[in-house]
Amino acid sequence: MRSIKLINICKKYRDENVLTDLNLTIPSGKFFALLGPSGSGKTTLLRLIGGFTEVDSGKILLGDDDITNFPINERKINTVFQNYALFPHLNVFDNVAYGLKVRKVPNDIIKQKVSRMLEAVGLQTQMFKSINELSGGQKQRVALARAIINDPEVLLLDEPLAALDLKLREKMLVELVDLQDKLQTTFIYVTHDQTEALTVADQMAIMNYDGEIEQVGTPKEIYEYPASVFVAEFVGSTNIFPGVLEINIDSKKLDVEGIGKLNVDITSEKKWAQDGVKASLSLRPEKILISKSPVAGFSNQLTGTVESIVYHGRSTEYIVKLQNGKKIQAFEQNEEHFPKEVIDYDDKVNIYWQAENAILLEK
Amino acid sequence: MLERLKVAFGKELDFFLSVPAAIWQILFFGVPILLIVALSFIQFDGPFQFPRLTLVYYLSLLEWPIAKIILRSIFLAAIASICSFLIAYPFSYFLVMKIKRFKVAFLFLLILPFWTNFLLQVYGWYYILDDGGLVNQTFLYLGLISSPLHMLNNFFAVNLLMIYCYLPFMILPIYSSLEKLDKSLIEASLDLGATPLQTLFNVTIPLTKVGIKIGTVLVLVPAFGEFAIPSLMGGGKDMYVGSLVSHFFLTARNSSRGAAFTCLSVLILFAFVGLVFYTFFPKNDLMEEEE
Repeated sequence: MRSIKLINICKKYRDENVLTDLNLTIPSGKFFALLGPSGSGKTTLLRLIGGFTEVDSGKILLGDDDITNFPINERKINTVFQNYALFPHLNVFDNVAYGLKVRKVPNDIIKQKVSRMLEAVGLQTQMFKSINELSGGQKQRVALARAIINDPEVLLLDEPLAALDLKLREKMLVELVDLQDKLQTTFIYVTHDQTEALTVADQMAIMNYDGEIEQVGTPKEIYEYPASVFVAEFVGSTNIFPGVLEINIDSKKLDVEGIGKLNVDITSEKKWAQDGVKASLSLRPEKILISKSPVAGFSNQLTGTVESIVYHGRSTEYIVKLQNGKKIQAFEQNEEHFPKEVIDYDDKVNIYWQAENAILLEK
Repeated sequence: MLERLKVAFGKELDFFLSVPAAIWQILFFGVPILLIVALSFIQFDGPFQFPRLTLVYYLSLLEWPIAKIILRSIFLAAIASICSFLIAYPFSYFLVMKIKRFKVAFLFLLILPFWTNFLLQVYGWYYILDDGGLVNQTFLYLGLISSPLHMLNNFFAVNLLMIYCYLPFMILPIYSSLEKLDKSLIEASLDLGATPLQTLFNVTIPLTKVGIKIGTVLVLVPAFGEFAIPSLMGGGKDMYVGSLVSHFFLTARNSSRGAAFTCLSVLILFAFVGLVFYTFFPKNDLMEEEE
């Protein structure tokens, strides 16, 4: 298995820049998720790797081979299409066998391989059914089988589960992860659904509306240590406090208009974080403690009134309105049947968090 | 309006709505066909004698010159179908796949000649194909030929005009089925390692068969009975099915023989179209891909 390297990729559609000078390395043998909002160019990127679209400039490397100008059919890359793109005039067997047939693999080997593959995806009994007789999940499996039977070095998945219902999607996600584990093929999974990406990916890249890569990392790195306000807001939910840094020898604070000075934690690699620089603080809702009575030992405290309470089962979501009108979202685990204090609408509450649990971001 | 009709007629509304069309069809299609069929089997011996059933007119057609005319018409229809398919498919493919803008304009240009009178189109071709016409003048000027090519009043001219006139009937259904084809299927085929040619024969053509079939019927059937083009462009040298029918009815005034020939040629046409479909489209899936 070889890695994919994208070097200075540029792509325009009708004079509109979709991708500009994009650089990305996709490690080999990993489940790599490409996450971005609709219109971020992630599908374009996938189509460039698959060879369906040509780059305007830049290079695509598979290992050390420059595959930028390889025709689609000569790349050892296969795709699972968003709408499956199964051949309606062929049955399940012939769909899966297609890649082998066009490469003139002997018939008995095709038969053997296809049967084994269909067994692996649990479709051996549907072998001679027409595509139109299959359910969404079965079609999904045929599409997957049809792609991986060709032993691709890279498998591209373009929002493959978008058409499935939630339960089936969750099941297929687990199957995909297992499959990738077994095959050790590089999977590149394009999605706009952050939960999907966080679930499946070993590594993920976040793209913004301008087709730029904002951050590459493991799901945990992305979620816990977002590199930008965009990433923090796009992956999961968060509370953003924009302000100006106030740094002196004994304290590091962010001065937020209308709220006051918040203690912040500045890790050593954040060289830009100097006194007087504009910055934002990202505070995840689940990192907040909410309480009516005072609690000691927290580096930050704010007060406000409870504006709404949404019960989610395992947790409860509170929206707390601060004095300056800013609304803070907080999640509390529902750990006890009878909590010591009941928080109700319009209650005055304190919210607490530790400085190191909030992330300081540029601008 | 429709609601009130539904109340008035109840479940039989569909039936009543179809009555005018059915009457029209029966009066102007069904009855004449029956008359023709009857005519072909009935012999009138004299003004005061009872007509009797006979096969005389059919038997009189069993001669080589008439068989030759039928074969010539089949040949003409086959050439028109094959050639217009060979032109129409690449043309439509190019239009659908490669042209991004002004697709409709191209189709419009294709249809445009048919806004002119048919005779004018035919005579227009005279000026192109004539000994002193555009083609010969150009070729002579370029030195490609030393004396004019005779391109009028022969089999070549007939075929050329047939293809010219019937091409849109092949292009439009093929265009529409190519347009409807999910392009990601072509990408999927290439993605799975098929060459563009393999993709064409394994995916694109099989999935646009409906258009090819409709186009074939639309060209094959009328081309077989075509009357005007062979008479105008063939110089009257060769007879075709259409011209023979007109000969029997209008010139020879032998309606019974004409009727028998008409029935016979319809049967042959059915058999021919059936044979073509059986050979080229073995599965009966005319409507299969229409979801």
